[in-house]
Amino acid sequence: MIDRRKFLGTVALGTASAAFLAACGQSSSPAQTGSAENPVTITYTWWGNDDRAERTRKAIALFESKNPDVKVNGNFSDFAGYWQKRATEAAGGGLPDVMQWDLSYLRDYGQRNQLLDLGTVKINTDAFDKSLLPSGQIRGKTYGIPTSTNAFAVYYDPAKLSSLGIAEPDGSWNYKEFNAFLTEVGAKGNGTLFGGTDYTGIWWNFNIWLRQNNIEAFTDDGKLGFSKDDLKKWWNLTADLRGTAAIVGEDKATQLLPKSPFGSNVTATEVTWDNFMAGYLADSGAKELKLVPVPSDDPDNLGLFLKPSMLMVASAKTKNKDAAARFIDFMVNDPEVGQIFKTSRGVPASKTQRDGTTFEGTDKLVVDYEKSIEKYLKDAPEPPIVGFGTLESTFKRVTQDLNYGKLTVDGAADAWFKEAEDLIKQNA
Amino acid sequence: MTQSPTLSRRAASAPTPPRKSRRRGADTRAGYTFLLPWLLGFIALTVGPMISSLYLSFTNYNLFDAPKWIGFDNYATLFQDERFLQSVGVTMQYVVFGTPLKLAAALAIAMLLNSKRKGQGFYRSAFYAPSLIGASVSIAIVWKAMFGDSGPVDQGLSFFGINLGGWVGNPNMTMGMMILLTVWQFGAPMVIFLAGLKQIPTDLYEAASMDGAGPVRKFINITWPMLSPVIFFNLLMETIHAFQIFASAYIISNGEGGPAGSTLFYTLYLYLRGFSDFRMGYASAMAWLLVIVVGIITLIFFKTSKSWVHYSGDAK
Repeated sequence: MIDRRKFLGTVALGTASAAFLAACGQSSSPAQTGSAENPVTITYTWWGNDDRAERTRKAIALFESKNPDVKVNGNFSDFAGYWQKRATEAAGGGLPDVMQWDLSYLRDYGQRNQLLDLGTVKINTDAFDKSLLPSGQIRGKTYGIPTSTNAFAVYYDPAKLSSLGIAEPDGSWNYKEFNAFLTEVGAKGNGTLFGGTDYTGIWWNFNIWLRQNNIEAFTDDGKLGFSKDDLKKWWNLTADLRGTAAIVGEDKATQLLPKSPFGSNVTATEVTWDNFMAGYLADSGAKELKLVPVPSDDPDNLGLFLKPSMLMVASAKTKNKDAAARFIDFMVNDPEVGQIFKTSRGVPASKTQRDGTTFEGTDKLVVDYEKSIEKYLKDAPEPPIVGFGTLESTFKRVTQDLNYGKLTVDGAADAWFKEAEDLIKQNA
Repeated sequence: MTQSPTLSRRAASAPTPPRKSRRRGADTRAGYTFLLPWLLGFIALTVGPMISSLYLSFTNYNLFDAPKWIGFDNYATLFQDERFLQSVGVTMQYVVFGTPLKLAAALAIAMLLNSKRKGQGFYRSAFYAPSLIGASVSIAIVWKAMFGDSGPVDQGLSFFGINLGGWVGNPNMTMGMMILLTVWQFGAPMVIFLAGLKQIPTDLYEAASMDGAGPVRKFINITWPMLSPVIFFNLLMETIHAFQIFASAYIISNGEGGPAGSTLFYTLYLYLRGFSDFRMGYASAMAWLLVIVVGIITLIFFKTSKSWVHYSGDAK
């Protein structure tokens, strides 16, 4: 009896400690270089919808066929969940090797040494417009390489407008005219088609309006460059439209998530980034969508700029720097990758990729749109302040409360400023 | 000083055969060996994180940089944070209305299932099933679809001429929906109630019938007092459980606690503060406040239970 117990005890102890050691120990194979028989594996993560997932899988397969010594494990989520996952991983020291990145979060992670300085690895940036690269740099170090550029635009569905007997806009409009247009769509839409989503709820749209008024959003020392009154003015732009058919109700928009009201054929227009074209076409099933510039009260200053729609970054802790760099280089430069994504990530940022891609139909519309606004374009903004992601989501949330009638414009501005000042103080 | 003679006297006065002692020592060792996996897990995964979270709650910690000690600042800021207060309100609403309703449903169904009828086994499993799958993500997604705009619930109600529209996007309806979801998952307390009901001697009911007691009287005078320890247990567990609601709220509101903060449950706000806003110290302070509040509520329950919970063998 005793012997059996002792034996059992030893077995239990052995099993437990083995499990414990396995849980604690790092994988002991350094695997810095791979071969076709024994490839190294890198992980890649991105946000997006099914359409982008499909294109990304094609790109990964192409990369693997050209680089048999590297295997890429991809996975994706929607935009909101994406950043929460990254925060968890960063806290645990396990960020994926390569990641699709957004300008809003570049400073948070770059400044805190979570991202690899891409200047230390081999990535070819010769084919990039020199004015675009600084938006991936912080304090002289390159943390992100833009895959592509996007610009702000007003989308509309010409078929829906013509069915309502409304003339297509040409994009030379001020805010008053734009509001009148939304109101007309809403009135004729008869409860089933709304003018658009409340465009004052998007931070970047506000940023463009600030530029139209020659105000900088953030100062060089990381503070706000605009006043509470500016923000109130902005949110008051659609004050008369909220609760009318000109703007889709927040309750309806919430139910349609994760699709946008425009993608769900509930609104006739949407003010957003021009690279959403492919996603909107896939979501809505519309034959054709068109793009025109955003409204401005100053016809010579549209406040528009080319922003890196997405960046490619690598984790500072990646064990496979070389493979990660090769994958990034491939994703931003390879002409065939451009052919796969077309404009769904935005217009390709590298000239080799742009030249290697044939843009037809709707993709051509996006490229043409960016060409048409060229003369209005100003420098791309630098990576915004640390914690900007929170400010951006607070901006959206507060505008939603505004549309639910839970806040007044003054209350909304107070709420946002309180959060912003608190955040700037936190990160000072 | 007084202890050592006692110890030595006990050791002297109770000599144990060496063989048996060795045997006992082996038993103890085996016991601890079997306990070891759990003990390691408990220390590494529960006690350790709790201590570090307590420390972090007094710091400003953004996950990347070293924590900065700020004393009670996090706790002080909490009470000026409107969203925090909103999350407290939302959670209290859920606990106060959801828990009693859920328990009432559980008890009612348990009593139905307690009687001897054909196919009781089937009914018992069928009623328990929702709570097996209820906490899963998929159910939250199904509920979101059911209560969405022109979902089955909206369609069903409009058949009766009630036009509420979708519940998911309406801040005034989401709480009702969340409470319905928890009430529907009454399986776990129901099973415990069922076990409790089985323990009540049937001769009590027979005697009461003889004296001419109706079903209501039997419930008030026999079922309720006899079941009170089980009711107390369920009330406590379900209340604590309700404070911890997270997954369903996260799914239904796309992780934002919307619309208009109506599903901003305490734990969801805690999560957002920690992982969306990188304010882990603040989130830790929230977590500890929750521990304290649940602890106080548990204490209150135990104190007041003396007046209504009856244990067999109590001199009353």
